[in-house]
Amino acid sequence: MRQSVQELFEKYQDNLYIIAFNVCKSAEDAKDVVQDTFIQYYLAKKEFDDEQHIRAWLIRVAINKAKNVNNTFWRRNKMSLEDYMETLEFETPESEELFETVMRLPEKYRIVIHLFYYEEYTVREIAGILKLSESNVKVRLSRGRSLLKEKLQEEWENDE
Amino acid sequence: MTNKEKYKQAFSAMHSPCEMTLEVEKMAILSKKAKIRTTAAAIVTICLMITGGSSVVYAADVGGIQRMVQLWIEGDQTDVSFTYNESGTYDMSYETKDGEIEELHGGGVAFEDDGTERPLTEEELLEDLKRPTVRYEEDGTAWVYYYDQKIEITDRFKDGVCYVKVSNGEETLYMTILYQDGWCSSPHKYEPADSLRVKTSQPDRP
Repeated sequence: MRQSVQELFEKYQDNLYIIAFNVCKSAEDAKDVVQDTFIQYYLAKKEFDDEQHIRAWLIRVAINKAKNVNNTFWRRNKMSLEDYMETLEFETPESEELFETVMRLPEKYRIVIHLFYYEEYTVREIAGILKLSESNVKVRLSRGRSLLKEKLQEEWENDE
Repeated sequence: MTNKEKYKQAFSAMHSPCEMTLEVEKMAILSKKAKIRTTAAAIVTICLMITGGSSVVYAADVGGIQRMVQLWIEGDQTDVSFTYNESGTYDMSYETKDGEIEELHGGGVAFEDDGTERPLTEEELLEDLKRPTVRYEEDGTAWVYYYDQKIEITDRFKDGVCYVKVSNGEETLYMTILYQDGWCSSPHKYEPADSLRVKTSQPDRP
C-alpha cells in the first residue's frame, strides 16, 4: 500500500522532527531531515504492508539521515541546547528537566529511549528499526533508564 | 504519571517549524536533478582516478565489441554485458536483483612514460571495475562492496571520514572515504583525508 505524502506529512511531521532533533540536536538540520525523508518516500517505489510499516520506514530513514548529518564534515552553526530550550514552552519544570536530561544522554541510548517512551515501540520493533539485536536494544534501554534515574531521582520511576 | 506520560509531556513542547512547507513534487524534481549531477560526477571521478588527475578524454561510443563478463556487483557475482570501445570507453549493463536493467558507462586515458596519451585498454578498464565501490542507499545507509564483501559503514564516519580495510585474499586495500565526496585506496596505508579533499576539490588544468 501507499499513502499520500500530504496525509503522512500532516500525521508524522512532528514525530519525525522530534526524532531527527533527538539525533542531530539541531533544529535547522532536523527540519531538512524531515523534508528529505518525505522526498525519499515520494521517490521510493517501495510498497508497504500497512501504515505501521510506513511509519517505521519513515522513522528509520529519518534516523539514518540525521546520523548522516552528524557524520558530515560540513555542519550548520547550531544553536546550543540551552538556547534552543529557551524557545520551547514546557508544561512543568520537571518536563524541562527531563527533556534536558534525555538530550544529554549519549546518542545510542537517547534514540532507543525515545523510540520506547515516545513512539511506544517494543524492544523487538526498535531492534527492527535500528537493525540491532534485541539484546543490544535491551542493554541500551536499561543503561539509558539507569542514567535517567541517576539524574532525575524520584522524578523517574523504576519501570524495568 | 507513568514514565511514558512524563516523557511525552516533556517532548510535546517540540513541534516542527510552521514555516516548513511540503512542496514534495518540486523538491523531488530538484532532488532528481541533483542525483543526475552526482552520477555524472561519479563517472568523471572514475576517469580522474584512472588517469591520475590529468585531463580526461571522453569520446562518444563509436561501436565496439560486446561480450559477457562476470563482475562482482554489490557482493554478488553478476553476468554483465560489457562493450569496449576503442576510444577507451565502455558501456555495460546487467540485471539488478529487482529485475531492472542497470546501465553504466565510463572510460579514461593513460599516459605513457614519454607523455603520450592513449585510450585505456579493455583489460585496464575491467581491472578498474574490480576495485571496491561505495554506495549510499535511499534509506540513508552507506556501504562498501568488494568482491563478495558487503560492509555497512553508515556509523563508521567521524567528521565525515571513514577508514575501511578490505581484502580479496590476495590483496589488501586501505580505503579513505569522504562522506558522499569521493574516496581513494592504497595497498600500503590509509591516505590522509586532507590530501583527498585537496585532490578532489582542485580543478583540472587545461
